[in-house]
Amino acid sequence: MREGLRQSMAWLHTWSGLLVCWVLLLIFMAGTSAYYRDEITLWMKPELHASAAATASLPPAAIAAQTVAVLQERAPKATAWYIGLPNERNPVVQASWTLPPKKGMSMAERRAAFRKQNVTLDPASGLEVPQARDTRGGEFLYRMHFDLYYMSAIWGRWIVGICAMFMLVAIISGVITHKRIFKDFFTFRPKKGQRSWLDAHNATAVLALPFHLMITYTGIVTLMFMYMGAPTQALYKGDQQAMFAEVFPDNERVKPAKVAAPLADLGPMLAQAQARWGQPVARIVVNQPNDANATVQLVRPSGQQLSNIEPSMTFSGVTGALIASTAEPSGVSSMRRAFYGLHVAHFADTVLRALFFLCGLAGCAMVATGALLWGVKERQKYAKVVAKGGRVGFGVRLVDALNIGAIAGLPIAFGVYFWSNRLLPLAFENRAAMEANCFFMAWGAAMLLAQIQPSRAMWRFQLIVGALLLAGVPLLNVFTTDTHLGATLFGPAGLRPVAAFDLVVCALGALLGYAAWWLKRKEQKAAGKRAEPAPSSTLVQKEAA
Amino acid sequence: MNLLILAGALLAYGGLAASGLSIDRHYADIHGRGKEPAPRLRRRYRSAGWLGIVLSLAACVAARGWHTGPVLWCGLLTAAAIALALLFQYRPALAPRLAWAGAMASVLLVALHALA
Repeated sequence: MREGLRQSMAWLHTWSGLLVCWVLLLIFMAGTSAYYRDEITLWMKPELHASAAATASLPPAAIAAQTVAVLQERAPKATAWYIGLPNERNPVVQASWTLPPKKGMSMAERRAAFRKQNVTLDPASGLEVPQARDTRGGEFLYRMHFDLYYMSAIWGRWIVGICAMFMLVAIISGVITHKRIFKDFFTFRPKKGQRSWLDAHNATAVLALPFHLMITYTGIVTLMFMYMGAPTQALYKGDQQAMFAEVFPDNERVKPAKVAAPLADLGPMLAQAQARWGQPVARIVVNQPNDANATVQLVRPSGQQLSNIEPSMTFSGVTGALIASTAEPSGVSSMRRAFYGLHVAHFADTVLRALFFLCGLAGCAMVATGALLWGVKERQKYAKVVAKGGRVGFGVRLVDALNIGAIAGLPIAFGVYFWSNRLLPLAFENRAAMEANCFFMAWGAAMLLAQIQPSRAMWRFQLIVGALLLAGVPLLNVFTTDTHLGATLFGPAGLRPVAAFDLVVCALGALLGYAAWWLKRKEQKAAGKRAEPAPSSTLVQKEAA
Repeated sequence: MNLLILAGALLAYGGLAASGLSIDRHYADIHGRGKEPAPRLRRRYRSAGWLGIVLSLAACVAARGWHTGPVLWCGLLTAAAIALALLFQYRPALAPRLAWAGAMASVLLVALHALA
């Protein structure tokens, strides 16, 4: 059998895409939402909304002094303090610390302990905000994007990486196999069955192609030290720590001198950094506070550059003298940083962030339409069998069910995650973990129901449930918080992220509702056609014969 | 700054719309079934299309610099292309009109930016 390049690429595209599409959809949805992880976290912690609404803020030096005072009380023996100063996406002061690791603590235990070692401060008063509810907020979605869940991070990252590599293959083979990429560039023809699904798949893929290629490739780059271990093996004899120390000199651990020394005032350092950068400092890291070897690292807000590592200035924590500024990284290293930076888009302002989000949604739509397309095409092979009252093959049934469970089921899981954040009792033990469990219980239920009955009615049912959950989020907010849309839209600017969350999630719910309505109408039309034997159907039969 | 980004978005849309009109299908959607642009007109559409796309890049880079400017440009092109694909399907006659209006407005916006 001789096959052309296009045919073989079409085969590759179909299978590299289909095999991983349902996990990819999860990765895409989680990743797309993670562009707004700060906003999601703020929405999920209504206890912080009062501080977010503060119209005035103390100067950075005063905030830093207040935060240091709190940290001195809470964690004087910490190995490091991390202070995030307020910005427009995250209007409160967030401080956390790391303690010297206890012997025999596993990585997971250390991570769990670290999650509890934090305080939040009101930017207007500099006072501690009462502990917000136990939730991981947007952090859960962000981590799920590359770690998945219910498995060790390493396993999750390997699975995500393999999916990403399949995706890269699918993108490249898809471009090669797309014959009319330029002629059909802007083409979308609705109401034409398979043709329309193909158009939608092509449009969402081709029009956002720069994003899809970039995000898939840079996604692999973010974890490249894991996927490509050979260089470390060859050059550093497998000693990854030695390699990291050389590649990321900024992250070098500061060793304590074990001699106590008072911490210098951060005010003059902040002023010096602000004078040099022309903008206020974004983050402060104090290494080995209260030790003779203490250092203070001030990090500049990301903005005009792609790199994921923002420039910083390091001061002595005892004398307050400038020790070092970030060195210019080598060419290769800046390349990696730019790729990494492109993926996480910390540099994005409001407009650019919205565009990244839009492209992410296009990616979700591309994966979903691609998965649907396989089912639509394959189903046609069974047209005659089904017409005689027979059944479609096992593969089609399985793919149909997985499609329902992923495309209509995942929005339900997201919706349930947000609802559980508001409805679970505040005193619930391991509340944050329970919220995540709710996500997966909802998704599991959707998947199971879809496997039991993969039908049009199931599509409609799950789409409607997802629509109600997501579109109901603003309403949920009215009944469970004081920061409803009326207060967040017309109130202080610090609450805009909460309003935006309500509106965007509601709009996505409306989109699902539209899809359910569209399915219903299509069914009614099909029923109408069946009722009156249309001449066109006999024509089709003749043509087929 | 934001005026330039808006100008960049309008130029991206205008450029893509002009390129789209050089494609037979979309030209026919507006001017009637079976109509094709004359060769000279098609060339003009294409040149105008490239001009708009390049000017859009210039506006983005002027607004955001060489680091994130091109990223912004890619995003604006994608958003404009999605809008255009929907317009060509559902309101074809509106597509070129909006492109003209956008081109005019972008001149105005760049002028306003220069003055400010």
